[in-house]
Amino acid sequence: MRVGLVCPYSFDVPGGVQLHVRDLAEALIRLGHEVSVLAPADDDEALPPYAVSAGRAVPVPYNGSVARLAFGPLSAARVRRWLGTGDFDVLHVHEPFTPSLSMLAVLSARGPVVATFHTAMTRSRAMAAAQGVLQLVSEKITGRIAVSELARKVQVEHLGGSAWQIPNGVDVARYATAVPLPGWPGEDGSIGFLGRFTEPRKGFRVLLDAYRRLAERRPATRLLVAGPGDQDEVRGGVPALVADRITFLGKVSETDKARMLRSVDIYVAPNTHGESFGMILTEAMAAGTPVVASDMDAFRRVTENGRAGALFPTGDAHALAATLARLLDAPDERTVLAARGREVAAGYDWAVLAERVLEVYATAIEATAGVVLDELPGGTW
Amino acid sequence: MWWVVTVVAVVVLNATYLTWLAARVDRLHARASAAASALDAHLVRRAVAAAALGEAIQVPTLALAARIALDARPEDRGAAENDLTRQLRTVVADPEAPVFAELVAVSRRVALTRQVHDDVVRDALAVRRRVPVRALGLARRHPRPGYFDVDDPSLEGAPRVPVAE
Repeated sequence: MRVGLVCPYSFDVPGGVQLHVRDLAEALIRLGHEVSVLAPADDDEALPPYAVSAGRAVPVPYNGSVARLAFGPLSAARVRRWLGTGDFDVLHVHEPFTPSLSMLAVLSARGPVVATFHTAMTRSRAMAAAQGVLQLVSEKITGRIAVSELARKVQVEHLGGSAWQIPNGVDVARYATAVPLPGWPGEDGSIGFLGRFTEPRKGFRVLLDAYRRLAERRPATRLLVAGPGDQDEVRGGVPALVADRITFLGKVSETDKARMLRSVDIYVAPNTHGESFGMILTEAMAAGTPVVASDMDAFRRVTENGRAGALFPTGDAHALAATLARLLDAPDERTVLAARGREVAAGYDWAVLAERVLEVYATAIEATAGVVLDELPGGTW
Repeated sequence: MWWVVTVVAVVVLNATYLTWLAARVDRLHARASAAASALDAHLVRRAVAAAALGEAIQVPTLALAARIALDARPEDRGAAENDLTRQLRTVVADPEAPVFAELVAVSRRVALTRQVHDDVVRDALAVRRRVPVRALGLARRHPRPGYFDVDDPSLEGAPRVPVAE
């Protein structure tokens, strides 16, 4: 079928929603569907072949961070032209309740519209003021998808709609076939961590403490850290001998992230609290790397209660060190964990999730008479 | 002179608004009715698949529940479908049973279609409550849509979802 995807944020800037749209588009294309993605972009040439630029995006402060959005009469005209020439069977927009291309597309569309909600945004004063507009946007959406339980709850409790839950996917093949970084994982064991290591809730302190204990008895085991942050601060806090065996990669690209996950014997998610990075575990699992994670709800769910990954009491560096020491000496157990991890990751593969998304498309088309377009008649599917 | 212009402007604006509102009422009701047909079709698909399965694996209660769901009058349909969901869950939950992938997929479609249907019905009912719609009887041509009130028909546990950052 012909699918029109709208991404509200600029493709030039990396971000969760952009990656989601790109991965979904590519998965749908692999399944034999025709896909066109409309997104703001400064540079047309940087876009993948299936994407169409809606023009320059303007940085707008939103929800505590800066979003790059395209919104205005010029963008509206481009959206209409894209809809007019696209002849889509279904229009799939992302984050339609932010003033963006997605909202413009929903307002210009007639016919099957599916929307995906990513963030767990709470009802703001601006949203309450724009209630009338939001109702019009909401009315035109037939199928609603939420990527997390939190995003679904917001739909149900604040916006009065329900939503079908389909999680963020993982491009399993990309992780499974990534080439490890030169010299890794090595013979003497290596441990990996990815994330903003200076942010307390990421729990890097716990891992560092555990690693220090571990390093006393295993002088050759290395630690590979990827993510933005001040490395000197970390190096200064541990003995020089330990600091020398920590490798910092800094902020990594998507490709290097996959390579990094393939480069270690064990991936550790030591998060202490908060809405945590559950995705990274599925990515490590897709890379075939056994994972060790703190015993929190999100990680419990992904590791299927510790079946597909080892859990340790949250914040307990001692227990983490013991778990790591045990696993580093037990290659067979690591193989078992990695195999179960791959099974779990397979359930999050985009190829599988794209089929679920197609079911929502089909349902939205059935429940709507007509085409995704302002005036042009003659929808097919 | 000016009052003529003002009156004409007000009349034109009102007419435009009411035309737009009437189109909106029609669209929401058309969608509710399309969603209801789709839901009916998927429920029938599910009952037929369940009847075939009930006979194939020799579970007469399942086959019977499926027949009752197929023959139910509109007012008994919810109860009959709930009973079929219960029977299906018992069969699927049996650890000895083979994997009924197709039946799980059909049930997922029923659940998804019901959710979409109820969302559309909610929007249609909301627009029916608006003052101009009631006063001018804009929804008079359309039968009042109703929610399809049944238990969650999906056969799989809640999908596992990692919490995004």
